[in-house]
Parts: sequence; structure tokens; C-alpha cells
Amino acid sequence: MTFKSFFRNRMTELSLTIIFIVGFLALVSTSQGVLLSRASLQGFLTYLAVPIVIGMAQMVVLCIGQMNLAVGAMGGVSTAIMATQMADHKVSIPVALLVGFLGATAMGAINGALVVLTQLNGFIITLGTMTILLGVQYRLVRTFTIDKYPTSLPDFGKKNIVGFPLILVIAIATSVVLSMYFSRTGSGRRVLATGGNALAARLSGVSNSRSVFIAHTLSGALVGVAAIITIASLPGINRSIGGDWMLSSFSAPIIGGVLMAGGTVAVYGTVIAAGVIRLVDIARAQYSLDPSIVSLTVGVVVLSTVALSEWRRRRTVRQNEGRKVLPA
Amino acid sequence: MNVAHKIKSLVSDQRFVLSLLTVALFIFFGLKNSAFFNADFVIYPLIRDAATLSVIGLAQLCALSIGHLNLAVGRMAAVSALAAGAAYQYLHVSLLLGLFMGLFVGASLGALTGWIIVKSQVNAFIVTLAMDFALLGFVTYIYVTFTGATTAFTTKPAGMEFWRNTSWHQYCVAGVCGPKIFPMMLVPAIIAIAVIGFIFSKTRLGRELLSTGSNLRAAKLSGIPVDRRVITAHLMSGLLAGLAGIMLAFTNGSFTAAIGSQFMLPSFLGPVLGGTLLAGGSVAVLGTFIGTLLTLIIRQGLSVQGIGLETLNIALGLVLLTALSLGQIQKMFTAIRMRGRT
Repeated sequence: MTFKSFFRNRMTELSLTIIFIVGFLALVSTSQGVLLSRASLQGFLTYLAVPIVIGMAQMVVLCIGQMNLAVGAMGGVSTAIMATQMADHKVSIPVALLVGFLGATAMGAINGALVVLTQLNGFIITLGTMTILLGVQYRLVRTFTIDKYPTSLPDFGKKNIVGFPLILVIAIATSVVLSMYFSRTGSGRRVLATGGNALAARLSGVSNSRSVFIAHTLSGALVGVAAIITIASLPGINRSIGGDWMLSSFSAPIIGGVLMAGGTVAVYGTVIAAGVIRLVDIARAQYSLDPSIVSLTVGVVVLSTVALSEWRRRRTVRQNEGRKVLPA
Repeated sequence: MNVAHKIKSLVSDQRFVLSLLTVALFIFFGLKNSAFFNADFVIYPLIRDAATLSVIGLAQLCALSIGHLNLAVGRMAAVSALAAGAAYQYLHVSLLLGLFMGLFVGASLGALTGWIIVKSQVNAFIVTLAMDFALLGFVTYIYVTFTGATTAFTTKPAGMEFWRNTSWHQYCVAGVCGPKIFPMMLVPAIIAIAVIGFIFSKTRLGRELLSTGSNLRAAKLSGIPVDRRVITAHLMSGLLAGLAGIMLAFTNGSFTAAIGSQFMLPSFLGPVLGGTLLAGGSVAVLGTFIGTLLTLIIRQGLSVQGIGLETLNIALGLVLLTALSLGQIQKMFTAIRMRGRT
């Protein structure tokens, strides 16, 4: 019984894992094993780290039923801060990374504060802050590529721990911590309660304003982590950083089983969905298809996942209603 | 007393304040740098852009009227332009027929979006966001597949130049000619503003849309077919987005995948500045045009001063956030006043 319900509750994660394994094996066999070579495996895993973390940055805002359109712009500004600190002001690497991380966290906190103060949808607030931050990013980076910082940073990005890229390990570790936060701490559960039913949460003594603020701040902090990973894995920083983050930040959590209405998180689902999307990207490169086919596929999959999850939710609601009518 | 009351009601009218601000800023920028008053290079393109962006603002306004958002306005515009461009390129249709085909595609896309929202009961902004992603890939894919490296439909139908470059100056009635600064592109925008304004202020459909937006349950209980109205609102939104996309394609002179990629922020700026409530139930059709004009004057005015792109972005973002907070404060005052009345 518990065994059965374990699998029923984890259908999305389970099927995604199977899709990931099957897809990976299919790509390995059609590429005559090239994908298993050291270099391509390394590339696959390294560029998986950023989608995982920005997927989670979006997830924490989705779980309160809002969205953060500014993830890309926040990441862009944060990496720009780090790069200019190191290149122009000769700040040491750890300090620069910390300043950039705190900057991203502060941007998230500002988003949260604005949402709470104006009582408007997070979407429209982050649309405004996104526009402002894009301006700030351009002002910091202009049209240059900033790469005049110590090479120990890119070297750090190339490090391995037992065969895994260090930055992927950082991403996975972040996801484990986040998962613990939502499942083990009171604060995490209060945030989820706000997302699930704001009125019920308020009546049980949860401060919804605080939950909204925490979710947006957390989103900013996760963007900060993504920014650190980005600057460590790329040879230089320019104004295009963050420009393509939006689609992947939404698609990973949505495919991973996070309800758009709020109230749920799926950390493992988000991670594995980011892996599946990465596979689609690899497949595109392998069969030399046009890049637009990836966004088309991902968009259609996201749209059908949303419809499917809603249909499943309503079926559950109907079943529960049926159960109530029956005598116990 | 009566005069004081009139002044008070005029000042509290957002459209009046907005127009005053627009005119003041216009004069301010002109005085700072007389290049701003250049009819051919500044004012004419400014009004032409305002025409296109007002229509995209109206597209957003239709979705806002029922309390929804349409994040796919830009991409719907792109698909409509794609359809019209393909019709001109491969079917060699006339300008008007191609326009109608593009509009039909936009309206169908909007109706499909509305239908998905109604059937799945998923939040409108999620559905339109996913729609945006799907269409983004679709549009790029079609352009790359059909046109190869150019990624554009470049066939210009007869009459396109006329809409692009001429002004009302060529039309004279009894010796009085139209002003040189009014582009022909203003005509479709005026028609759109008039029709949408008429629908929302004078027709039953408009009232039903607004009551759906202000209180869904009350609307349902009063016998309004709310599901059908949701689809209608998104259909109108898609249709207007399509019109804006084709207008931009005419202005640019070619149909490309980039059309509509810059539409999202302006589509909200116009209606929100004009006084349309994000929560639904209240629209400002003429205000959308004035709001759009205001943002363009700020943009153009700053760029004539030689201020770069980055400051423009910062300024526009601040304008949006300020306008939103003002709306919130206004709502608070209205609530207090209403409480006093009852």
C-alpha cells in the first residue's frame, strides 16, 4: 500500500528519470559512443549546472503562485557586478563573488518588498524590475567582454570531484539544501502553505507577506548561485548573459511537476527535467537541427504538461469529493 | 462652487492629467533641444510608433478587461505577420487580403488560447506564457525552413510603400491639408481605438466583458456566458496583436521573426499608464493611446538628449513601477471614499 502510493505520488519524477535514462542511452548508441567520451560527458554535465539552479530560482517563486520574469536580468547584473569588481577594482575572487551573490539576493528582496507593498502580481513587478536591471546590466558591461580577471576562477570552474564537475556538485548540493528547507523547516512549510491556500494559511497564523518576501529573496539568492556557476564556467562575461535563462527557468520546474497554481515544490523533478532538456539540446547538436526546434519542442511539452497536471488535479479533487459522500 | 467641482473632477481624471503631462514633457524636451521638434525625423516616426504600440496596448487591454494577462502578444503579432508575409510571398495576394489572412490567424490563435484557458482552468498568464514559448520556436522554425539565410519574407505588396511613408499631408479637403506629422499608419490605430472604445462603452458585449473581469462569480450568476466571454476577450487580443504585428512589418518593410519581440513591455505600459486596472473590470481605451505616446516621448526625448539605451530602459522600468504604485494608492483612496459613502 505505502509502496504503491510512493510510486503514485512520484509518477512525474519516475517517468522523467526513465525518459532521461532511455534518452541518454539512445543518444549514446546513435552517436557510436562519442557521448561517453571524457570531453563530451564533461560538457554535458558542466552546462547542466546553470539550468538546474535557475530552474530552482523560478520554482521557489512558482510555489507561492507567482513568477519571476527577472531571473535572467538579475543573473546578468550579478555576473556583471562580479566581473567588473574583479577586472576594474582588483577585488579578490571570493569577495567579488560574495558581493555579486549578495547583490542578487538584494534584488530578490526588493522584488519581494515591492510585491508585498503594492499587493500586485509578482509578474508585473518583475517585468518592471527586469527592464530596469537590463539597463543596469548594459551600463555595467556595455558592449565589451570582460575577462581580465585571475585565471584561477576559470580553473576553479574546470575542477572535478570524483569525475563530476565541481560546479555541478555545487548545483546538486544547493538543490539538496533547498529540498531540506522545504521539507524539514517550519519556514519552508509556511511558504508552501501560503502558496497552497493563502486564506487558509492566514487563518492558521502564517504571515503571507513574509512568505512572499522570503520566496522572492530566496529566488534572488539562487540566481546569485547561478551567477557564480556561470562566471566560473565561462571564459568571459558580456551583456548576453542571462538573455536565454527565462525559458529554461520555467520549463524545468513545470515539466518537473511543480504546480503553476502554487503550493508544491519538486526539487528532484526540476533537476531531472533540466537534465532531459539538456538531452534535447544535445540531440539537436548531434542531428544538426535548427535551435528553434528546441524551444518549439520545449514549449509544446510545457503547454501539454500544464494541461495534464491540471486535469490530474481536477480528477483528484473529484475523487476526494466522491469519497466524502460515501459512508465511512 | 460648480467651477471648483468641475476643476476637481478634471484633475482627478487620469486621462486629463496624463495628457497634460504628455504635452508638458513634449514642450520640455523641445525647449531643451530643438532637434526634438523636427517633423520628419522625430515627430513623424514617433507618432508612427505610437500608432503601432497603441494597438498592441489595446491587445493587452482586451485581456486585462477580464482580469487576464496575455504574455504572448508579441509572438501572436509575429505569427500574424508571418501569415501575412507568407500570403504576399507565395500566394501573391493583394494588400488587403493578406492583411485579413494575417488578422484571421491572429484571431484564431487568440481564440485557441482562450479556449485552452477555459477548458484547462489554468491561470491565463501560464497558458499565454507557454503559448509564447511554443510560438517562439514555431515562428523561427518556419522562417528558417522557408526562407533560409534571409529569415524574412521580403515581398512588398502594392500599396505598402504608401502606408509606410506618406502622411496626411497629401489629403486636402477644401484647400486645407492634413498635418505633415500624422502618418497614414495612424488610420488603422484610430479605427482600432474607435472600435474597441465603442465595444467597451456602448455595447452589451463590452459590459459583459467588464463584469466578467470585475467579478467572475457575480457575472456568472447574472447569466453572462463567462466562458464564452473569456474566449472573446482573447480572440480580440489576438486579433489586435496581429494587427500591430502587420503594422510593424509594414513600417519595417519586411516580415521577420524579430517582429513582436519588443512588444511585451509597451503592451503593459500604455494601458497601465492610461488607467486600466490590472485586476480587470475597468479599461481606458483612449488612455492607452495617451500612455503610449507619453512613454514614447520620454524614450525619444531622452535619446535626442544623447542619453543611451541603458538609461532609457531604467527610466521606462521606473515609470511602470511608479504608475503601478500610483494605481494602488488611488485604489486605496477610492476604497476609503466608498466606505464613507455607504
